[in-house]
Amino acid sequence: MSREEALKVIESVLAQGRTVLVEYEAKQVLKAYGLPVPNEKLAKTLDEALKYAEEIGYPVALKLMSPQILHKSDAKVVMLNIKNPEELKQKWKEILENARKYRPDAEILGVLVAPMLRPGREVIIGVVEDPQFGHAIMFGLGGIFVEVLKDVTFRIIPITERDARKMITEIKGYPILAGVRGEEPADIDAIVDMLLKVSKLVEDLENYIKEMDLNPVFVYEKGKGAVVVDARMILKAPQRKEEEISSEYRERCA
Amino acid sequence: MTERIVEELRPFFDPKAVAIIGATNKKGKVGNVIFENFKRNKERGIFKGNIYPVNPKLDEIDGYKVYHSVRELPDDTDLAVISIPAPFVPATMRDIAEKGIKAVIIITGGFGELGEEGKKLECEILEIARANGIRIIGPNCVGVYVPDTGVDTVFLPEEKMDRPKSGPIAFVSQSGAFAAAMLDWAAMAGLGIGKMVSYGNKIDVDDADLMDYFLHDDKINVVTFYIEGVKDGRKFMESAKRITRVKPVVALKSGRTEYGARAASSHTGSLAGSDKIYDAVFKQTGIIRAEDFEHMFDLAKAFAALKDKLPKGDRIGIITDGGGAGVMASDAVAKFGLRMAELSEETIKFLREHFPPHAVPGNPTDVVGDTDAERYRIALEGFTRDPNVDAIVVIVLFQVPLLEEEKVIEILADYQRKSDKPIVAVAMGGRKTSRYARLLEEKGVPVYPTPERGVRAMAGLVRYAEHLGKLKGE
Repeated sequence: MSREEALKVIESVLAQGRTVLVEYEAKQVLKAYGLPVPNEKLAKTLDEALKYAEEIGYPVALKLMSPQILHKSDAKVVMLNIKNPEELKQKWKEILENARKYRPDAEILGVLVAPMLRPGREVIIGVVEDPQFGHAIMFGLGGIFVEVLKDVTFRIIPITERDARKMITEIKGYPILAGVRGEEPADIDAIVDMLLKVSKLVEDLENYIKEMDLNPVFVYEKGKGAVVVDARMILKAPQRKEEEISSEYRERCA
Repeated sequence: MTERIVEELRPFFDPKAVAIIGATNKKGKVGNVIFENFKRNKERGIFKGNIYPVNPKLDEIDGYKVYHSVRELPDDTDLAVISIPAPFVPATMRDIAEKGIKAVIIITGGFGELGEEGKKLECEILEIARANGIRIIGPNCVGVYVPDTGVDTVFLPEEKMDRPKSGPIAFVSQSGAFAAAMLDWAAMAGLGIGKMVSYGNKIDVDDADLMDYFLHDDKINVVTFYIEGVKDGRKFMESAKRITRVKPVVALKSGRTEYGARAASSHTGSLAGSDKIYDAVFKQTGIIRAEDFEHMFDLAKAFAALKDKLPKGDRIGIITDGGGAGVMASDAVAKFGLRMAELSEETIKFLREHFPPHAVPGNPTDVVGDTDAERYRIALEGFTRDPNVDAIVVIVLFQVPLLEEEKVIEILADYQRKSDKPIVAVAMGGRKTSRYARLLEEKGVPVYPTPERGVRAMAGLVRYAEHLGKLKGE
């Protein structure tokens, strides 16, 4: 794990006057803390994209990275299941056109070339900052479970392994992870590991991180791990520590 | 750190001499009620300290010498209770600092709760306190009630509000009105409150300080909180984690407002609300969250009696003399995340041998409506010996004709004493029943008016045992 690597990404984003990390940057930060992210590469040119696709192996996905385009599917800048170099060339053109149509002023950092991932059970891991208690970590099942049923649970960071395990088992949808109707159980240990790593990351970088979503995370069968499919990270402008912990008294008497 | 807090807060609960600043002879005035409380407790021989009324306009109240200013007070004064109007408090605080008094309860309202002007006053007071090592409870509160030492700053007169007897429960409330109403109610319910603190605007002494204090207070074995908001979240969590390792804490948290209309830029942000965060805080620190005030005191009662006799698992055995009540209890077991115990074959055999043919061994075991006390004894004997039963809920409908009430009370108390399994009782009924319920509670068996509340209280014991890692299989 490397705080320095993560900080390098964060500092460079802040230096550009941004507080929202694009997916690629967010994943770099996560990767620095040992979280499982796909083997993706950021291509600046079509030639680079073709080279990376060869390395990764077809089929691949393309995702355009722009600080101005955070809802990528709305802007149609995600292209899936690209099977060969010809198709890639075609989609490369389309993806840039779509971006320009959606936001003519969009700054384009590059296009992420990513392997097509085998679907797994979807979970969400998130972080939010509470004004009284500081950062909290969230866990829930993804998709409709989080959208409609809001079946999520929180803990204040840092968490222990026992906290992490309890978070997973206490959501209503837990049987889906444990395996229902003959389905194999999901890799619970991999989720525990991710929760602990996110907790550690935020503990280390608490003066930088405001909120984050790892959504979705694909969790595979027991022993087969998990992978962060998409991620979003929001920073706060870094402050000095003393200001951070200013008490109510100091606020009032200032 | 925590030992220092014991020394700092001691004068609030057991002062050598109390100065009542704003004491008056006008009946019904706050300064009069508080003076009367101390005077009455002194006459009863409960309050052992000196009482010094302070009022520049009086020389004497009810035979007590009145001091005209804080400066004139005798040197043994170690607690000041202030009930003078807010604008005069800072000057008085300066005198208190000079006098060397280190504990102050500010009953008076008209501070931060009113807005900016009041907040400025609070800051002024707090600065004086910090510079002189003074601890403050309040302002805008009813203060402290300790039946054992006779400290009673609750300005609701005894004619209008009963005071509860002493007991192992500490009760802390942000709201003074809620605190007063609960004390009155606790008195009626026969619930023993060892210490009550209502801290109002809590500019200084807060929940964390009180948890640190109660951790070291041998007379307290369960702490209950009514909380509206916590200021220093991390300090709160640290103190909570320390105390829950030793004694249970129950919290009722109100104010379920969300973060307001803040624009959430992440999915997680849109799902988080302060209530979810408090849920997390309580889970992580081992604080048992109460749903409402009934639940809070149901839990307090269970812990007061059974804190040192926690269940070793979540398998509940139910004994009843009414079928319907047994079904209700079984439903509650599932609802509160517990399991119904599966009685061993030996237990079933034992019950069948000793029961008349129409009584129903099992879980629930129904001793049926023609039961006598002896049938309860047999059932309890079987249940307490059964390795598959972790805790027992006994439903006693005292109304059934052949049941010898006093005898069944003795039997329950006897098994509570000799078995290591916690027993709670449920007694549904009216006036006669509540009399028996009181007798049973005096003998160490907490009693609840419905099966649901009885099982819910038991679930609290199980959750706390789980937090301590004392459940089997952990």
